[in-house]
Amino acid sequence: MNAKERVMAVINHQKPDRMPCFGANSTVTYEQMDKVGAYWPDGHDKGEVMAKQALAAYKVLGFDAVRVPFCQTFEAVALGCKRKPGKIRDIEGIPGIDHPPPYKIDDTPVFPNDFLSRGFIPELIKAVEILKKEVGDEVAIVAGIIGPFTIAGSLLDSVPLLKATFKAPEKMRPFLEVGEKAGTALAKALIDAGADIISIEDMTASPELIAPKTYRDYELEYQRKQCDAISVPKILHICGNVDAIIAWMGQTGAEILSLEPKASAKLAREKCGADAILMGGVDTATTLFMKDAETVKQGCEESVADGIQILAPGCAVAPGTPTENLLAMVEIAKAH
Amino acid sequence: MKVLNDFSNVFKRYDLDLEKTGEAKTVSKDAVLQKIAKFVVEGDEDGILPAVQAALKDKSPLVVINEALIAGMNEVSRLWDDGVYFLPQVILSSDAMNVGIAECEKNMGKSMDRKGKVVTHTAEGDIHDIGQVIVNALLNANGFEVIDLGADVPTDKVVAACKEHRPVMVTGTALMTTTMTAFPKIAHQLKKAGLEIPFICGGGAVCEEYVTEYDLGIWGKEASQSPGMAEDALAGESWESMRSKWNG
Repeated sequence: MNAKERVMAVINHQKPDRMPCFGANSTVTYEQMDKVGAYWPDGHDKGEVMAKQALAAYKVLGFDAVRVPFCQTFEAVALGCKRKPGKIRDIEGIPGIDHPPPYKIDDTPVFPNDFLSRGFIPELIKAVEILKKEVGDEVAIVAGIIGPFTIAGSLLDSVPLLKATFKAPEKMRPFLEVGEKAGTALAKALIDAGADIISIEDMTASPELIAPKTYRDYELEYQRKQCDAISVPKILHICGNVDAIIAWMGQTGAEILSLEPKASAKLAREKCGADAILMGGVDTATTLFMKDAETVKQGCEESVADGIQILAPGCAVAPGTPTENLLAMVEIAKAH
Repeated sequence: MKVLNDFSNVFKRYDLDLEKTGEAKTVSKDAVLQKIAKFVVEGDEDGILPAVQAALKDKSPLVVINEALIAGMNEVSRLWDDGVYFLPQVILSSDAMNVGIAECEKNMGKSMDRKGKVVTHTAEGDIHDIGQVIVNALLNANGFEVIDLGADVPTDKVVAACKEHRPVMVTGTALMTTTMTAFPKIAHQLKKAGLEIPFICGGGAVCEEYVTEYDLGIWGKEASQSPGMAEDALAGESWESMRSKWNG
């Protein structure tokens, strides 16, 4: 089996030759950038460089999929947010969304007709097209979009959005709607460009930030709508301990649920049933970034024992993560 | 055939067992103070102002602060610790409490006496200040004066604020591994300036092994630890003794 066949076998509930290993989130590191000669900040806004960096996941690490982009700003910037460059002191990092946000909770957000040609989106689409030319059907191409609640958080700033979850939850709807539309439109364009899998990152929908009932009564509906509209397999990634909402995550229509090790894979299996495909592995900060390869291997073995079917970093990989720790993950995947 | 004879769960939604329920306790026997405390617990920043104004007609501002506003916020902390309350409720309650405190301070003609100052910030390059928002709310509720530097704060600004305010403690929050590298730099500069202030570092990416590598650093696992740590710092405990108590 080649890398893509291996990934698709798991998604189609067939037996792969071994466990696949790849990231639901960004896996780019400084060491990989040196190996492929492609660097930030260009990797965040130039399609060719972005594709080159993404390829490192396959060429340098031996992961079964390549993944773009490496930050969470594409939809938000196209909707009017300002991108804050990732550079701190002399080191290039991950861009974020700058203050002030474009909207207040009483405003009506606008979904621009030319959304797909705004901001850095054309470069992201170009990166997927290049990746498709490069890897064809050898390696799975994962393209990332941002979930409705997280986009709403960028449009309003997170604290006003969090306050609205209790004070004026109905006022969130227009923002969730625009967030859903944006992610879905981007997903469709990325599928046309060659993406095999869409990874939906929805950080702000985590129970560490909002009440589980806010997820159930508001966000779930928009995630479902989004998953319904996306024709390829989907990964849903929500950060932190998602035990309190995992049953509903299983009802979104996403084939793959990506979990941090803080969340219980056993509970996810119990609540979401045998068909849910679970993806996860070790903590990206405290283990992958800070510890050695042996600790990484041990953590991966524990995750596999808990029912993880696709080995992956628990969240976005820290760019300073040592290559050998990522290679250790592949080693464990090969043993299963 | 299985016969159903317990109908108590017939109308229970199958998914509600994931949410804990809990109720706020009464914090004051005085109806007026209890009403204010209830506005804090419910996070009602609009309702609280007239209630505080009415109470101030025959109660001292300090009584309103301590027995209603802070007592209500302590109840919020308890509900948060018990997993009944979530972050949005803590933010709303903290805002309501601050509206009340501002009104009491206006009435007193001066700021309320605080236990000590704590400088809080989110690391340079990091715009994720949610962790810091909780820390601020909890420190505020426990009577500390929070010097809130906000998010994305350059290291120099943190050191300058410490020189100016001479806080009992300083905190740093970082969600990303790329931004937490500012912490050892701040610790180093503080030491160089002769400011041996306990420096609590926490947030998504931050772990104990990292923080305990540099002097002054104490790892903050949960935001809810911050009032206890501030009390220790206020009592004059050194960073070494705080580290051995809270870490390892």
